[in-house]
Amino acid sequence: MANARKLDKRRKSIRNIRKITRTMELIATARFKKAMERAAAATDYTKRITEIVSDLAAAGLEVSHPLLEGRPEPRNVVMLVLTANRGLCGGYNGNALRLAAQRRTELVDQLQLATSVDVSGKRGISGLKFRKIPVEQTFTQFDDQPKYEQVEPIANAYLEKFIAGEIDRLDVVYTRFISVSRQEAVVETLLPLGKLGDDDSRKPKEKGGGESMYEFLPSAASILEEVVPTSFKVKLFKCFLDAAVSEQIARMVAMKNATKSASDMIKSLSLTYNRARQSQITGEIMEVIGGVEALKT
Amino acid sequence: MSKLSVSIVTPESTTFDRTADSVVVPLFDGEAGILAGHAPMIGRLAPGELRVAAGSEVFRFYVDGGFVQVQDNRVSVITGRSLSPDKIDVSAAQKTLDEVQIKANDKFDMVELKTRTISQARAQLRIAQRG
Repeated sequence: MANARKLDKRRKSIRNIRKITRTMELIATARFKKAMERAAAATDYTKRITEIVSDLAAAGLEVSHPLLEGRPEPRNVVMLVLTANRGLCGGYNGNALRLAAQRRTELVDQLQLATSVDVSGKRGISGLKFRKIPVEQTFTQFDDQPKYEQVEPIANAYLEKFIAGEIDRLDVVYTRFISVSRQEAVVETLLPLGKLGDDDSRKPKEKGGGESMYEFLPSAASILEEVVPTSFKVKLFKCFLDAAVSEQIARMVAMKNATKSASDMIKSLSLTYNRARQSQITGEIMEVIGGVEALKT
Repeated sequence: MSKLSVSIVTPESTTFDRTADSVVVPLFDGEAGILAGHAPMIGRLAPGELRVAAGSEVFRFYVDGGFVQVQDNRVSVITGRSLSPDKIDVSAAQKTLDEVQIKANDKFDMVELKTRTISQARAQLRIAQRG
């Protein structure tokens, strides 16, 4: 019976796959920790920027800037979709792409807006091609540790276009990191900015009323002029970081599940294999006994 | 004498964090020295050299614009990029400088960008040469 050998072969190949998925899980875990640290560092930066903004507000400055104001009749919308360069990370890419496609249909069909789509990540490029969505710009240079230097030129390009009036809105579709066990694909409008700083730490804190004692060099207005674009850049950077962290978590979970199902499969295959081997041996013994019996007579 | 606590924060990491005696920051219109007991201040930075003196040690950095915030003897430098002089890529900076200077000033927006790139590249070169 060749069955037993076949089963053994399958079991071996599954063992190899398990080895691979297990390694990928470990790699993803290590990368996730690194990505997480970077995201924490970026939070520190955002916190300081928010502090400055609240200090500016405390100084009685009217916070207004062209980047903060929405256009009354938006016509051109740019959608930036952040996906991974690699697959094998569960529903990570699929979720982001589904949301992006859904959003695009909304914008184009219901609101009649000219929407162009930019995408980061090879998976996103091929995914959108499959959905027959035309893509304007593509980025593939982002890995698990996006660098600020890489994000900044993209941010600058969007800023220039927005100020020049070529685009009226920028939506970013990415996977937001909420907690280690929860990430979800979201659409966030980054231009116009709406408000400055982090959503949660928006309240200016009061400390004995000494806040507006700041001396502004050259002036509060000039600093605001610089803070607003910086704030946008950092927000975009944060999106990239969040996407990177979420990707690693998604991959970690996907690979953990894959390793587990490989183990289960090996277990059940081992059972079948043992049974097949047993019956093969039994069959052979029967044959030998049969032969002996035949010789006796 | 009371001391300053100085930190340099970039979007990627906190590159420097320790106590010091004095800090010299490259403000938009020239350098400004900060000692302990400085009045609360928020200032806009230009690309240039940041010097931190702690005892007999002097730390030098290139910072890429940004802000400085001084409050209660705490100096926070918030910048897009900070490099120590030996990390500056001199040839790349020189190349950017050469390239940008040839470019035509065709659009009004471009002039600002160009001046900015030039000042960044020049500041990098200046610091690297001194270091």
